[in-house]
Amino acid sequence: MWEKRPILLLLLATAAIMVGTIVTMIVPFMSVNTEADRIESVTPYTPLQQEGRDIYIREGCNNCHTQTVRPLVSEVLRYGEYSKSGEFVYDRPFLWGSKRTGPDLARLGGKYPDAWHYKHMDSPRTMITGSNMPDYGWIKENLLDPQMIQRKMETLNFPYTAEQISALAVKNEMDAMVAYLQKLGSDIPWRKAAETTIIGELNNPFTGDKGAIEAGGELYENSCAPCHGDKLEGDIGPELTDLDMDDADLYQIIHNGISDGGMPAFGSIGSDKVWQLVNYLQSEDDN
Amino acid sequence: MEKPQYNTDIVKSFVHSSVLWGLVTVLVGLVVSVQLTNPELNFPPYFTYGRLRPLHTNAGFFGWVVGFIFATFYYIVQRLCKVRLWSDKLATFQLWFFNATIVATAITLLLGYTTSKEYHEMEWPIDLMIIILWVTFAVNIVMTIIKRKEEQMYISLWYMLAAIVGVAILFLVNSAAVPVSLFKSYSAFAGTNDANVQWWFGHNAVAMLLTAPPLAMFYYFLPKSTGVPIYSHKISIISFWSMIFMYLWTGAHHLLWTPVPDWIQTLAMAFSVMLIAPSWGSVINGYMSMKGQWHQMRENYLVKFLILGITFYGLQTLQGPMQAIRSFSAFIHYTDWVPAHIHMGTMGWVSMIGFASIYYLVPRIYGKELYSIPLANVHFWLALTGQLVWSISLWIAGVLQAGMWTAMNPDGSLTYTFMETMVEMYPYWWARTAGGALFFFGILVFIYNLFKTVRNGEKTAPLTAIAQGRA
Amino acid sequence: MDLASILYLGVTFGLFAIFAWIVIRTYSRKNRDKNEIAKYRMLDDD
Repeated sequence: MWEKRPILLLLLATAAIMVGTIVTMIVPFMSVNTEADRIESVTPYTPLQQEGRDIYIREGCNNCHTQTVRPLVSEVLRYGEYSKSGEFVYDRPFLWGSKRTGPDLARLGGKYPDAWHYKHMDSPRTMITGSNMPDYGWIKENLLDPQMIQRKMETLNFPYTAEQISALAVKNEMDAMVAYLQKLGSDIPWRKAAETTIIGELNNPFTGDKGAIEAGGELYENSCAPCHGDKLEGDIGPELTDLDMDDADLYQIIHNGISDGGMPAFGSIGSDKVWQLVNYLQSEDDN
Repeated sequence: MEKPQYNTDIVKSFVHSSVLWGLVTVLVGLVVSVQLTNPELNFPPYFTYGRLRPLHTNAGFFGWVVGFIFATFYYIVQRLCKVRLWSDKLATFQLWFFNATIVATAITLLLGYTTSKEYHEMEWPIDLMIIILWVTFAVNIVMTIIKRKEEQMYISLWYMLAAIVGVAILFLVNSAAVPVSLFKSYSAFAGTNDANVQWWFGHNAVAMLLTAPPLAMFYYFLPKSTGVPIYSHKISIISFWSMIFMYLWTGAHHLLWTPVPDWIQTLAMAFSVMLIAPSWGSVINGYMSMKGQWHQMRENYLVKFLILGITFYGLQTLQGPMQAIRSFSAFIHYTDWVPAHIHMGTMGWVSMIGFASIYYLVPRIYGKELYSIPLANVHFWLALTGQLVWSISLWIAGVLQAGMWTAMNPDGSLTYTFMETMVEMYPYWWARTAGGALFFFGILVFIYNLFKTVRNGEKTAPLTAIAQGRA
Repeated sequence: MDLASILYLGVTFGLFAIFAWIVIRTYSRKNRDKNEIAKYRMLDDD
């Protein structure tokens, strides 16, 4: 039968291919991106953010960074609330990626202040020791094309205002990129919800422990110095030489971060390490 | 019956093109692997990792693999049908258009014109070129099969036909986009839908370009090289229908634990495990065809490439389903394990079959003896060790990184920061570069050997003698 | 059983029946030898 009739074989092969295609590729359109998975607070990208997203695509950032947090304990601890379908309805194309050479970025928005991103994009290794990310300082030299961006917004059918478009004339690609990164994953108020409430009294387990101070110093150098300076003199973040804060308050701030002040939460590194940092900062404060 | 005059010129030209793009693929692969360990080797704007990596994958997929698919299929289809190619002119047009498309792809990717969709990054004008290319190819193959002088179709032709229609469907759907300008478009699908369509495409591009066509080649060149028929044509028929039916359900195993609906993930997981059966149907068919012929593994370099190739296909189709299981995917996905898996498939299976096919073709289409069988053996060992070093080092790296990502302290906090896990990768990334370099030297030996064969290889005995395995 | 389950089972059994039919047809006494002709004929095609 079909072993002698190529056209029949072609048609039967097409039918075989179409069964799985219809079930797993076409049927999902009936439920995905509908009322069923809609999230009210999710908004389209602004012109500046959308342009940043297109630069992210142009530079192939998705080759090293994923944008989806899986509902797994270690992953939620590391990156934040797991990703939900309704958060991606304005993503054309999707940018979930397939490989984490660098960290996941789905919850990056609001984690750092803008200034951190400008410095980090400019030269990643000054902010993160050992990073293998290429320098992207050169995108600062490229100005934006407001007309083109307006056309993009029309194509995507996203709302925009004339002011938003005219404001683009004085922006460069770096501004757009940072605006996009700050939007990532921030449409749902997960950061406040994820904060830990500390119940009961906090007792410093390492008071006066030289080893803890030393370990804290090392942690500081890697995780804090890029923003607060090598000598706690402050840079992107405030100076820390004159803290005048008790151990418990300091612990709380390091553990939870300051969600509207751009200080990331460091609770996921563990309470021992947070206490080591507290002891280091207090010892520096005393000097 | 009078012997038909086959078109061999078109086979020659496609061999040249595919080998050239194969060299480019591996060269760019080496560059991007070094960029991961030495970020100062990124030269913006055109030569950064983010722009070069898609060039590496697309040159491999569409330049090297599709190139030798065109070459081998045009050789095979004429012989299995015992007629000359339907249209020489169309094939010649296809050759030039093919190279133009690959060049256009390379240039636009370096310029940053990309859709970001993996293995399909080229923008819409190039998608149109690829569609034209595939239609010309499909018409020529199908018309040649229709006017064949042989009643029954050998299994290789089945796989060809399935690949032709499969690639067409996948590519058309995944290309759907709304253009903004000549070099920028937005996907027709958004978010979770786009992800689901993309990996339905991504995984089945593996089926229709990296599995079905190499199987067509394997089923043709293995019996041709050993001189004995395949073990069972019936097993190949059962495997064929099961494989092309089941593959299409499995795309979402690339999206386990993501917002894609759970039931799609579960189906993908189940069908991925079921796919072991048809995959191993082909593997066992290959092994059984060697019954009484295993001594040829020592004597016949072509058999070595082919049998190692099908062995890696077997390993790949066990490892793949394993990764498609939720619990294992939770651990291993997004780590360096995954590129190690892909490269066992591309370097160990697809390229091995590609090398064997081209070693088989070149002496026959040029009527010259292969310049050096010892050099072909050197190539074999360089390719094999290169691939093993590449994959094994990154499997270790992947398990290490996955372990560090998921390690937790007794108080429920994470043991390692992301950077602590990343810097652990550097030694393995160096080992990967070394493996890639070995593979690259293998390619150089391959090209040298082919070049010398064409230039000053000895004229062979009449072609009929080769066909009967006497020369 | 609701309609969805019946549909689900029906499709599953339907697909299995097609598969069984292909296997039976391929290995039937009538076709068993015919289906192996191609593998011999492909050996003398140059």
